[in-house]
Amino acid sequence: MDGDKLIGRMKRLADVKNIKEVTPLSSAIFPGSHCPLMGAMMAVKGIRDSILLVVGTDECTYYTKNTTISNSAFGGLDGRCLSVVLDQHDITFGCRDKLYDAFSQLMEEYSPKAVFIVTTCVVEITGDDVDSMAEDLGDIYRIPVMAVHTEHFKTENHLPGIRDTITACFSMMEARAIEKTVNVIGQRMGDFSTTELYRVLEGAGVSIGMKLPGGTTVEEIREAAAARVNIVVNPIGLPLAKKMESAFGTPYVLFDKYIDPERIYSLYGQLFTYLELPLPEKVKQLYVQAAETVARAESELRGITYIYGNTPVDCFELNAFMTKIGMEPLLIQTNAIPEKGDEKLEAILERYNPYVTKTANIAPLQYVYDVLKPNLYLGHEYGERLRAKGIEIAHMDLVSPMLGMETAITGIGELVRASRAARELEKGRNIR
Amino acid sequence: MSLCRYLPVPSDRMAIMWTLLGVEDGIVLEYGPAGTTHYCVSLFAQMGISPDQNLFTTHMSEDDVIMGDVTRLENAICEIDEGYHPRVIFVIASAVTSVIGTDLAGVCKYMQSQVSARLIPVENGGFSGDYTLGLSKIYTLLVRELAGAKAQSVPHKLTANEMSADKKTAGDRGGSETRKPGTYNVLGASAGAYRISSDLWEIEDLMRRAFGLTRGAVLGVHSSLDQLSAMGTAQVNLVLRREALEAARYLWEVYGVPYVYGAPYGYEGTQKWLEETAKAVGYEMSLEVKTWLDARKSQAATFRMYASMYAARPHQPSAAIIGDFDTILGFSSICRELEIKPDLCICPHTLKNTDIPEDLDIRHPASEKEQIRWLKSLEYHLVFGDDVSLHLCGGTNTGLCVSFPLVSHVQTAEHLPFMGIRGMDFILETVDRYYQVLE
Repeated sequence: MDGDKLIGRMKRLADVKNIKEVTPLSSAIFPGSHCPLMGAMMAVKGIRDSILLVVGTDECTYYTKNTTISNSAFGGLDGRCLSVVLDQHDITFGCRDKLYDAFSQLMEEYSPKAVFIVTTCVVEITGDDVDSMAEDLGDIYRIPVMAVHTEHFKTENHLPGIRDTITACFSMMEARAIEKTVNVIGQRMGDFSTTELYRVLEGAGVSIGMKLPGGTTVEEIREAAAARVNIVVNPIGLPLAKKMESAFGTPYVLFDKYIDPERIYSLYGQLFTYLELPLPEKVKQLYVQAAETVARAESELRGITYIYGNTPVDCFELNAFMTKIGMEPLLIQTNAIPEKGDEKLEAILERYNPYVTKTANIAPLQYVYDVLKPNLYLGHEYGERLRAKGIEIAHMDLVSPMLGMETAITGIGELVRASRAARELEKGRNIR
Repeated sequence: MSLCRYLPVPSDRMAIMWTLLGVEDGIVLEYGPAGTTHYCVSLFAQMGISPDQNLFTTHMSEDDVIMGDVTRLENAICEIDEGYHPRVIFVIASAVTSVIGTDLAGVCKYMQSQVSARLIPVENGGFSGDYTLGLSKIYTLLVRELAGAKAQSVPHKLTANEMSADKKTAGDRGGSETRKPGTYNVLGASAGAYRISSDLWEIEDLMRRAFGLTRGAVLGVHSSLDQLSAMGTAQVNLVLRREALEAARYLWEVYGVPYVYGAPYGYEGTQKWLEETAKAVGYEMSLEVKTWLDARKSQAATFRMYASMYAARPHQPSAAIIGDFDTILGFSSICRELEIKPDLCICPHTLKNTDIPEDLDIRHPASEKEQIRWLKSLEYHLVFGDDVSLHLCGGTNTGLCVSFPLVSHVQTAEHLPFMGIRGMDFILETVDRYYQVLE
């Protein structure tokens, strides 16, 4: 493939207003993004006494079960990922009879506290009214039954599947008297109890209520309205947090994985204001430590060029931070474009105007590397293949299980390590 | 079949995908939502298939689905042609495009003039049936579309009698002098068969030592377009599973390549298979292999003696076999050789249009629940099956995983076959373990 041609197809960040205007690197994609079905699976994994019932083709159901088998949270091979496999007859005449029959077997054999009926692309095209079936089944068996729609042709990736699954949990919630607890909404990876944010809350005597989808039960979801505040650790949790705020008056703080110590410090302040507690001394110490890490890193990171692929950190926050300390984005891959005027977007555009394209298409990217020649790649790629081109991978997945200043300290540390390695690669390239 | 607790039977489309990804210099382009493509990668990795640089998807938007717009498919075809210069692009349907009725064949037809690569549409979206239908369709399509005869054999129209027979030997018809001597093809080797690389390795060794033949194409597993193109020149086709019979008949009809249907399971089965292959190639197997087989067959005699010893005990030696039709045929012949009765044979795929031997009770379960009940009721059996089936059998049974799906281990070795002499050597170790725990 011709790298220059591929680059010629891409737009610059300043020239796009939304993701629809972002041109993919190519029309032929590999491996492509994950689908919302996988997102729904990831969300139900965290609700321990619920069942995931996938309604779809052999293929969708096979791959979903196959993915859950090695996952102890799902109970392995005998676990709580089940399916209703549709054939030509069901596509033509509807899936109602088969779904009801399967549901009856499910109730007899598994006695779950709640069931998520997850529909896939084909069901959404044929138009089976699974919402009303879920409602009816809930009435018949007197348990919460929620329909989650995961057609991939309406979404860019798997995150809407997680978002819609946890938002569906709102129907299980009931009004409660406020206690001194917090809910954690939207954690996709890791265990909240290993995070800095958890340690800070624990040190302040704050208990954790519902962790959705990080690890919870149907009973905890029912009691979720007792929380004083919802901590939303990823934007996928915002629709649920907004519903809870509207229905129960529960405020929320968006405390995503951020890299800028200033932002993290400000969020800690906001959180403890809602909790009506003083900001712990520990947070101030961590802030100083993170700020010092940034100060030390600046001279090493300045002038380093990179291509942004995909990381667990908020895409535009991380890019804004990196440009602020002098790193240069050559290409940003993303699934969303912030609205014009967004402070993070403006911070990037103030200094640079990188190319922008959609994520999860590493096949043609190989040819782009040869033209753009970045020092770093942030995301999932084949390390050896990139090193052969003089590019080092920054493994930002290290921060996946983290929340708080630890994200900044570890993330910046990894950027420094990768940048040093990239400079060494550059020396080697020059010698050759 | 309504509730599925474990893994459903793979669809026709899945088998088509894992077969086409074995065509080394072709590219597979899926027209459908990207999530399915991304999701399938882990299953293919279990099968030993790396789709990097030969599998692509277009993804689809809501507009594409509603309006039937195929622009992104057209663009993807052009990009792949220009960027990767493949000789063939297989354009594959998805469940979504099947339901909305996208005319893939039509798109390929009008796009053909704009690209250098040959476009081959495959319109199975996963609703035509299980994986055996997919295998059958794609094997036939591959030989019809890609096989040629570089040695310029003369096409020959088969008679009804010729078509009805399942074994064709070199003497059955003329034209063998036009074939390239010294090579054979394997038809019906599937990445979806557990330890297929090991089985191919064993077959390669047997064919070399017994007949001095080298391998040409392996239809559907690691074969280049050149190898597929030369299929019509081979001395013989070895057909390992019935889904490849139609392809074999086509190669016989058009290029005169004789074929042998069946796989070498057990010492006696291997001997029979080699004898039939000898008839097809027109000369005897080597003395070396004959001697090797004779020596090994004495081992089986020991196990037959065990079988008669245990016949009077509370639990008579019995076996259960769960797998593809041809796997069941193979392992049941091993059981017969060892005088162990296979009293439960479960075939997960359709048995429609299958001639089941009268002495075998092969069942296709009406539901997963029924299959679970059969497996859970087994006691003191030697069980040849997949990981899920072995998991469901009780602790008094002795199991050996012989087919997909794998859930509790991985497939790494390429030298541990089930077929051939070494395969039987390996299987006997499990049989020995069975007798040690049989009461």
